[in-house]
Amino acid sequence: MADIAFLALSGLIIVSAILALEAKELIYGAIWLAFSLIGVAGIFILLGAEYVAMFQVAVYVGAVVVLILFTIMLVQRESGRIVEQEEPGRLGRAGVYVAGLVALAVAGAVVFLVPVSPETPGFYRASLQELGRSLALSYSAALLILGLLMGAAVVGALTLAKVEREEKPLGAAE
Amino acid sequence: MEPLSSYVILSSAMLGVGIYGLVSKRNAIRLLFSVELIVNAANINFVAFARYSNPPILNGWIIVLYSVAAAAMEAAVGLALILVAFRLNGTIDVRRLNRLRG
Repeated sequence: MADIAFLALSGLIIVSAILALEAKELIYGAIWLAFSLIGVAGIFILLGAEYVAMFQVAVYVGAVVVLILFTIMLVQRESGRIVEQEEPGRLGRAGVYVAGLVALAVAGAVVFLVPVSPETPGFYRASLQELGRSLALSYSAALLILGLLMGAAVVGALTLAKVEREEKPLGAAE
Repeated sequence: MEPLSSYVILSSAMLGVGIYGLVSKRNAIRLLFSVELIVNAANINFVAFARYSNPPILNGWIIVLYSVAAAAMEAAVGLALILVAFRLNGTIDVRRLNRLRG
């Protein structure tokens, strides 16, 4: 049962990740990316981390992919044409070789060097209280720093994306 | 329950797809997709290793929570940069955004 779920989720993740990079239209690519990220959330649920999965769906699918979609619409609206350019085939082949090499190296290293998980732990599900206590007590400094970082990122993004144009009084004739 | 190595193989496959995108794509938004895929591959590893340690520990989950938040910030700033680059150059093809090349 869990095996079938794992295989299905892996297939979903990898296939939609490839489609996200290869889809002709950028906007469909973003949607495939959302499917891939939902698959990762499914893997988190298989690992007993429902809260992390919820966070993943809310932040990635709810915020990041929507942000990407809006950016694609802005970029394409301003240009009035599809931004995508043809990739030269040479680059694509080089990419396949590099990626395959890296993935094989990592997978091989893991399979040969990591002991096959000595005793598979049984059913385990951490409670939300446990997670919250750990987050607020042991990792509170990191939480505060993350908040500051997030504020800085929002201010930075707003400053970067601001369009400068001269002020026009409200209701003035065009 | 699958062995730990199956999760690691899934994550390295995802890493491979992400690196393929980083090497071969020219569109800045697709590069951002690739970065998100790589971050997610790392997150799968964090949760899997946390789950398979004996007894299971929460640290992996908490790192993933932080990593997801940091990736969201990175996407926001990156997309703002892409918008500015598009406004200044009229393209988001990273091989034509080479005015800073020495």
